Parts: sequence; C-alpha cells; structure tokens
Amino acid sequence: MTAETARDFEALEAQAQTLMSVFTKAGYDAVAPAIIQPADVFLDVIGESLRARTYVFTDPDGAELCLRPDLTVPTCRLHLARHADPRTPARYCYNGAAFRFQPQGADAAHPREFRQAGIERFGDAEREVAEVETVAIVISAIERAGLRDWSLRLGDLGLFSSVLDAAGLTPRWKKRFDDAFSRPLAFRDSLKSFAMDARTRPLTVPDSLLASLNRKDRAQSEAAVAGYLDQSAIELIGTRSLADITDHLLDIAEDRDEGPLDASAVALIGSYVDVAGPARTAGIRIGEIMKCARSATALEIYDRRLALLANAGIDLDRVTFAAEFGRTLAYYTGLVFEVRTKVLGSQSPIAGGGRYDGLMRVAGAGVDVPAVGGAIHTERLLAAIRGGAS
Amino acid sequence: MSRLTLAIPSKGRLMEQTTEMFARAGLTVRKVGHARGYRGEIDELADVDVAYMSSAEIVDALKSGSVHLGITGEDLVRENISDADVRIGFLRKLGFGFADVVVAVPACWIDVTTVSDLEEIAIPFRRAHGRWLRVATKYRNLTRRFFAAKGFGDYRIIESAGATEGAPAAGTAELIVDITTTGETLRANGLRVLRDGVILKSEANLFSSRGATWTVGLEKLSSTISERLALSVPANGGR
Repeated sequence: MTAETARDFEALEAQAQTLMSVFTKAGYDAVAPAIIQPADVFLDVIGESLRARTYVFTDPDGAELCLRPDLTVPTCRLHLARHADPRTPARYCYNGAAFRFQPQGADAAHPREFRQAGIERFGDAEREVAEVETVAIVISAIERAGLRDWSLRLGDLGLFSSVLDAAGLTPRWKKRFDDAFSRPLAFRDSLKSFAMDARTRPLTVPDSLLASLNRKDRAQSEAAVAGYLDQSAIELIGTRSLADITDHLLDIAEDRDEGPLDASAVALIGSYVDVAGPARTAGIRIGEIMKCARSATALEIYDRRLALLANAGIDLDRVTFAAEFGRTLAYYTGLVFEVRTKVLGSQSPIAGGGRYDGLMRVAGAGVDVPAVGGAIHTERLLAAIRGGAS
Repeated sequence: MSRLTLAIPSKGRLMEQTTEMFARAGLTVRKVGHARGYRGEIDELADVDVAYMSSAEIVDALKSGSVHLGITGEDLVRENISDADVRIGFLRKLGFGFADVVVAVPACWIDVTTVSDLEEIAIPFRRAHGRWLRVATKYRNLTRRFFAAKGFGDYRIIESAGATEGAPAAGTAELIVDITTTGETLRANGLRVLRDGVILKSEANLFSSRGATWTVGLEKLSSTISERLALSVPANGGR
C-alpha cells in the first residue's frame, strides 16, 4: 500500500472535523476508545471469519490483544467503564483508526488501516425513533462533507422473526430457522430439508433411545441418555453437559415424530427471503406476504420507520430494502443499513450500521442494552467526493 | 553444472524412513563431516547437496525457494503455504509418514456425527455457555478453510502447541482438529472422528519449489530422483 500523502492527511483531517461537528451538535459526546483491545471480547463477538481479518498479537505478559477491527465494541467497553448501570442512556461519537487484514492486498477502497467516524447510542426505549435518528445523522454528516450522490439500503433481522411467527411455526422450528438465517448458504438447504421427512436423516443414536426421551420429564430423559452412555462404555467428557446433549436429542426425537414442515410455511418463508427493491414497493410486498398470514405488527414497524425517515427529510426514492441484507453481519439484531454511492459501487459502502441489542451483554454488561450505531468509512467518503479517484 | 539442493528431515522416524527409501532406490544418502552435522550428499548423484532440516524449516525453504526439492508431510505444506498448488510441485507421494488431519469430538456427543450437526449445536451451546464452540488445533489454516467450505463459522480456534487431544477432557476446548494415524490416541482420550470430518489424508511427499532457480540440467536431475524413488514406493502406496 502506498504511503498516505500530505494532501490526503489534510483533507481527511478537515473532513473529520466536519463530520464530528455534525455529531457533537446533535448531542453526541466525543470519545477516543483504546486502539489496543483485549482479543477475547472481539473474538467472542465476531466469530472466526472476521478473526482471520483481525490483527491479533500477544504482549510480553502473554495477554492476547488485538488492533480494533471497528470502533463499536471499544465504544461499548468505554460505556461500561463509565457507567455502573449499563442501561444508562448515553450518546457517543468518534473518529479514529481501525485495522483489518486484506487477503488480496490493500487497495484504495479497502485499506488495511482506515479511519472510522461514527456514532453509537445506548439505552433508548423509543426503538424506531433512535434507529431513524441514527441513519439521518449519518446521512446529514455525509452530505455536510460534500457528498450528494448516495443511496440508502435497509434490512431488518427482527422482521424475519415476525415472519416466522406469521408462518405459524412452533417455537422449536422458529429457533432453528432463526439460527439458520445467519448462514445464507446453508439456509436454502435447511428450508428444503425441513420440508422433507426428518426420519430420513442418518443418525448414530438408536431409535429405542430416542423413543425413551420425553421433554416433560427432563430428569428421566437425562437418566436415559446417561444409561445409554454407560452401557456403551462411553465416558462423559468435556464442557458440553449431559443436559446440553439431552436437549439436542429431544429436538432430534421431536423432528422425527413431527414430520415435515407445512408447505405453505415453506412458501411464506421463501417468498419473504426473496423480497428486495425500492423500500416502499418492498413494504407493499411484505404486506401481501404477511396478509395471508394475518399478522400486522412487523409491517407497522416497517411503515413507521419509513414515515420517520421521510419526516427526517430523507428522500424515500433513494431507499431500498432487501430481506437478505445483514444476515451475515456479526452482531446486529434488528435494523441494518448501509450507504452506497454509484462511484464506489456495492462492494464498498461508505457507511453502515444498525441495531445491536445483544452486544453489550457479550462485552461484559451481563444484560441486553438497546443499542444503535453507524460508522462512516472516511477514506471511501473522501474518494467518493473526489469522484472515485483517490 | 549448477547444483541441486534436496532438503530431508533431520531427525526422528521421518529421517529414518527417508534414508531407507533412498537406499531401496539404490541411492546412498550420507552425512558429510561428523554425525551430528546438517549437510549431506548422495554417493550416486554427485551434483546433489543434501540439507538436513526440521520439518518446519523444509516448508519455509520450499516456500522461499532456497532449496529445489524437499521431503516432508503434505499437512505441513498445505497448512503453511496458502497457495501451495501455485508455489509447490507435488512430485510424488512416498508411501510413509501417513497422518490424517481430522475433526474429532467427544465420543459422548452421540447427537453429533457430521459437521452440519456441529452447526446445529453451535448456537444453543453459545446460548447456554456464553461462548462459541472452541476448536483446539495447530492447523489453524486447514481448519478455517475446511469449515468455511462447509459453511460453518460459529466457532473459535484455540491455538494448541501440543497434546491437543487432551483439550476437550481438560475443558480448554470443545473439539479438536489434529492428525491421527490409527485413531488409537483419539479413542484413548474419549474422542471420535466426525463422519465427514477428514480434512486431509496426508503422507510424506517429494516436493519441488517453483520459486527456486531451475536449469534444464537441474530439472533433469530432479526427474531422475523422482523416478528412482518411484521404484521404492510400495505397490499399494504403503497404506
């Protein structure tokens, strides 16, 4: 990667001042979380695929540390250090370096060392209001920096749960679909296999053991599994407990007994996953899908967000929605968004963010905390403003 | 004529088997100078320099091109050279040093027999224990590539320097990726290989380095060595 020029440095500094002034005027406190972070928290949150892109190292004391791959987790940790009660409402903004290994070598749109400017807000009860304000502030900062040509792409990981409810799935089916949703490749396969008879699945567990299990009598079920292990001279080792194993066997047993998933439910889920297009049209499409399942709540949330966005002065013609979007992002739990420009294309969004209510728990809060945030990739923003030439 | 450098293992069973294999092919490998030295020669091939190296050094030397040929395990080459098929020539499987790189789980996980079962238990496990399934291994790259190809991502790798097979019982990892020959060590530690959990069936290979400086003469010499060794690979491949 070529060294940063003095011209880039000055332009980025000036741009950062513009972005930060938009954030601070909107009531966000400027903070500077630590660049060097404990690797554990990050690795627990991001999973192994982003870990391959995180610079992890060991310090002379043997502690495993990393260069932060983003500023969201460091801001959560900063919030936890400041407030005994993690649910204390707070709004932060930042501009600082983040680091990600680039497998194909760094280029201008994918530098391994880049600056993120962003906002995070914690503890807001008004969910859609907090989400839309976050999106609107990020976009107004981008416009203030000089970018006119942008489009906004939305997704909603919470909406999928509502679709599953509407499909009339049992809690167990729902849980399995929720788990599978974050893995797009496996998802279509599971959808197919769930629709088939589960009895055809190969398994090493004898039917007699499965038949002796009963969810209503957990103690007896665990005893049956323990008895089977004993009889087969298999020792129980490791951190996965007898209860964990029994739980999963109960799921397997129920899969076998229950038979295939209802075809109309499969069709409903399949047609939701395919929804993509202009936000208003997508809303109408989701409405049609949900109407035949007689559920309105999820759609109300969707429409409310669009109305709030329009109120905030966002031109809805620039907004698209894709049901698939956000599935593979590590820690989001609800709304997800990204801001794109034609110049840089879909592979290089200039900003992104969303709702991540579960992150604070993983970072050490012990409870879920309502959280929404968004960050701007400042090098890309500068490149987009300059017309793609960097 | 310029000289060809051949790297062979400097100790242990692999060194013995390599020397025996050359002897069966009618090639006498001997150390130059005292017995604990690290240079050698082949009586019958005057233009070959033999370099005794540790297995890890052989992989590095093949990668950088500081040797022309090297004998080591395929597992180490695939783990440590991400674009091995581009940079390394796989000249010949040698019929010894067998080791399978496998995914093994506690045998008591009677509900888990395939990688897709792992995927199924990963999120409930995280819900119950507050962390990802941990995979102890020294094959971090092979593991990542294998699981990524299967679409499984809900795990964390724990770097393991030795005694990997003890990690699940010790509670420092839930499952392992490690090498096994007979499966005996795995069984003794209460572990079982997943049905689709064989990542690589490895054995010792004669490798060439595409990054080394080659001449027509050296390529001919390399073919001679490879063909002579072919004579001493057992008919059934040694398995």
